[in-house]
Amino acid sequence: MVNLTIDDKQVTVAKDATIFDAAKAAGIRIPILCHDKKLHPFGGCRMCLVEVEQMKGRLIPACTTPVTEGMIVRTTTDEIMTARKLVLELLLLKHPLDCPVCDAAGDCDLQNLTYEYKVNANKFTDEKFRWDIDYENPLIERDQNRCIHCGKCSRICDEIVAFGAYSFVNRGIEAKISTPFDEKLDCEYCGSCISVCPVGALIAKPFKFKARWWALNKVKSVCSYCGTGCQLTLGVKDNKVLTTVYDEDQGFHNGQLCSRGRFGYQFINSDKRLTTPLIKKNGTLVPASWEEAIDLVVSRLSEAKKSDPSSVAALVTPRLTNEELYLFRKLFKDVIGTDSIDHSAGYAHKALTEGLKESFGITASPSLIEDIQKTDLLLVLKSDAYETHPVIGFEINLAVKRQGVDLRILSDKSGKLTRLPDAKKYIHKPGSEILLVNAIAKSILDQNLADPAAQSLPGFDALKSALAAVSIEQISAAAGVPVEAITRLATDYAKAGKALILLPIGLGYPGHGSELTSALANLAILTGKLNKEGCGILILGEKNNSQGAADLAIHPTAGGRDAGAILEGCTSGAVKVLYIAGENPVVSYPDKAKSVKALESGAFVVVQDLFLTETAQMADVVLPVKSFAEKCGTFTSVGRNVQQIRKAISAVGQSRSDREITAELISKLSGAACGGSSAEIFTEIAASTPGYSSLSTDSLGDNGVIYPVVITPKLVPVVGVVPETEEGKFALLIGSSLYHCGTMSRYGEGPMLVCGESYLELGRTDAGKLGVSEGDTIKLKSAAGELNLKVKVGTRMPEGVVFVPYHFETSAINSVTAGNPVTWVTLSR
Amino acid sequence: MIPTELKRELQNRIAAAVTPREAAVDVMKELQAHYGWLTDEAVGEAAGFLGLSTVQVEELATFYEMIYRRPVGRHVIHVCDSISCWAMGGESLLEKIGGTLGIETGGITADGLFTLLPCCCLGNCGQAPTLMIGETIYGKVTVERVAEILEQKRRDS
Repeated sequence: MVNLTIDDKQVTVAKDATIFDAAKAAGIRIPILCHDKKLHPFGGCRMCLVEVEQMKGRLIPACTTPVTEGMIVRTTTDEIMTARKLVLELLLLKHPLDCPVCDAAGDCDLQNLTYEYKVNANKFTDEKFRWDIDYENPLIERDQNRCIHCGKCSRICDEIVAFGAYSFVNRGIEAKISTPFDEKLDCEYCGSCISVCPVGALIAKPFKFKARWWALNKVKSVCSYCGTGCQLTLGVKDNKVLTTVYDEDQGFHNGQLCSRGRFGYQFINSDKRLTTPLIKKNGTLVPASWEEAIDLVVSRLSEAKKSDPSSVAALVTPRLTNEELYLFRKLFKDVIGTDSIDHSAGYAHKALTEGLKESFGITASPSLIEDIQKTDLLLVLKSDAYETHPVIGFEINLAVKRQGVDLRILSDKSGKLTRLPDAKKYIHKPGSEILLVNAIAKSILDQNLADPAAQSLPGFDALKSALAAVSIEQISAAAGVPVEAITRLATDYAKAGKALILLPIGLGYPGHGSELTSALANLAILTGKLNKEGCGILILGEKNNSQGAADLAIHPTAGGRDAGAILEGCTSGAVKVLYIAGENPVVSYPDKAKSVKALESGAFVVVQDLFLTETAQMADVVLPVKSFAEKCGTFTSVGRNVQQIRKAISAVGQSRSDREITAELISKLSGAACGGSSAEIFTEIAASTPGYSSLSTDSLGDNGVIYPVVITPKLVPVVGVVPETEEGKFALLIGSSLYHCGTMSRYGEGPMLVCGESYLELGRTDAGKLGVSEGDTIKLKSAAGELNLKVKVGTRMPEGVVFVPYHFETSAINSVTAGNPVTWVTLSR
Repeated sequence: MIPTELKRELQNRIAAAVTPREAAVDVMKELQAHYGWLTDEAVGEAAGFLGLSTVQVEELATFYEMIYRRPVGRHVIHVCDSISCWAMGGESLLEKIGGTLGIETGGITADGLFTLLPCCCLGNCGQAPTLMIGETIYGKVTVERVAEILEQKRRDS
């Protein structure tokens, strides 16, 4: 620690702190334009000039000067004030004063400092710049005339996003921030650059001219897309969510968001929101009153309950709050008495509910998000982890670039992560993950690298004998990864001081189930990489509350039907009433025909959703629900963080929350009143859910609480099967697009502007062979069906492998897939 | 596309540098020598070799005035416009050479031989005014001397 004096105040800070950090710690504000706490110091703007007793004769930039023992710093002498005023005058020389039409007004550091330093005249004159404004790209309006050259956009894009969309060009008097070859911006559209821009040079296009910054009510909440659990601040005016507001102090991610988190909020106030209940009459859904709709649902449910409770089934989305999921479980399992309740197509939660359950005795990851930056070796299954959880992707970028973490990617395709500095990729044939992980385990045993303590754990002998039958050479041949690479990975993983495994899961990743999870858990258990900082395994749940749904057991636990069997039950007539909350099986479950058939089977179908989705259109009753911005409750994110969402606006139309609807159904069906606020229900959850016992809504605060787990490791032998291949066909992989999450992001304007339709991605060689180029239409045919898709040619896909995102209804990929990790298809022009 | 030999040479240079970025100027100069100027394609290739983004290469390329991001003549005449040369008539020298060649600064002569550019200090202030053609620096130049040099260059080409 270092002691210094700032403005007569004694300050003690860490020795790697700068004067700026020390002042901040002491509550002394030093004005600055080019600094962000997440970025390396830059020293570009010269606003943070201070006086240091020991360095008299010149003013010192506080943001780049490290503290030294006994330093005496003054932050506001007359000389400093004059110097800062001069800096502002020079900046204002080029900066246009178009504040009345600038969206940054009110949130503009330059404007605020100009006001604070009373810069009401300028002793210099010069012409303004007349750069063309980039109106072309979908989301980020770039007006370089307003730019003050702080370089934060370029630095955040390089340091954290690891994309590198911008840099200074023509350094000197004509310097400006440019994109490659000064073309229109073409990037990931995470908008990190907008969030750190101190002026209005970069603004969010969808928010332009929507509201003045100071007129916005800012409400803290949690993003409702993926499972990362990013905190966000909603900018609200006139009962509409108009934007997301950057707050660098929010969450582990320091306010960083991805494209869908930052720009995907428009679904909340979308014109497409359902506003009244609908009842199907003569084949058409017509508006109805809540009373009529609820009465109808109650009568159908109680009828079915009386005749055969197991004829009732429910599919519930893990986007709901814990409180809502809890009530759903209560309604179906306790009040009606059916165990047929499931989510995420029945397979996308199995990594948690079966894999981890078996290997660790719990349904949650033993590791945390913060372990990513604390580990030594990070093994990521599929480069898609970046696409499914972009902000966790930023953590991986930081781990590699700042902490020097050794990144290994075992994947069926390349991607953003495989391009990180020194990242080692193991591109394998589709569907051979389990084989490879088993081969790694085998190699660890062969090399005697197993942790001695692991030998006394349950399952060790079983695993050892199962692996004895495994041939690394055969797996190498089947998976297309050299033997040396497998053994080397095994050695490095086992010998790393700390090692962490990441596995994204979701509807797009049917292969990432319980078996792969257990195979991976074996690696961690075998090498003792557990229960230590930076070690273990982190399952990346797909949706905002996937972890909560696993915790609350929203799946069959007593022999009930799982999602697949529920749909089959509808078709066979065994399921008479199907209750669907927020799920959209017609688009997001594999085998579209199966879902459609089930919904057309004659079972009474209730759908509650924000939108008249493809599934809702086929329902008998549709109930409009509130979005996450209209209600309170909790989500449990990746790494077991239980966080609160807050109500930002009142209900859209007549919508009610899933909690209110479910509570009413429980009351009516059981005859006993079921009510209570979210907080009261949370107390019930805490009392009955493992791990949650110490939690209350009061204790969650702004950052949430990570609930504790105790694991009981067990080695579970898993059999890997050599994936079938079909000669002359392409391996189709489905998955997540970077801009989408599930099917909800299709109602967000931002994601649709960047990626508005499905596509088929393939490599250059295959494109050449097929004679197709970017933007062409290609016909894809599988055993189940065929469809036409737009071609996207890139460098990610190995030869013979193609990728299609699963989010879209038009050219829905689930009309050709049946839930297998790999689908073999033919392609033709 | 660049020849394999050049590719190997560039890779060796990068491998010898402490960080790839350090070799950026060398790489750009070699590619420039190959193409005549640093084309967009060359920027892309340099980025590929150096592990940088194209815009990061562009940042460096646009900083150095002897890296040409536009087509230039076979010989580029850099006339110093920094203070010592300016005081010794550098400005009018630049104008006069432009007049002789019939081009504006930045332009290429019709025969494709010359491009004229102002440049910053060449470190030859004692011999002002100074200009540089290729790797050769000429001191105490006069309009007549320039005419001779250019004539020589024409004959040699």
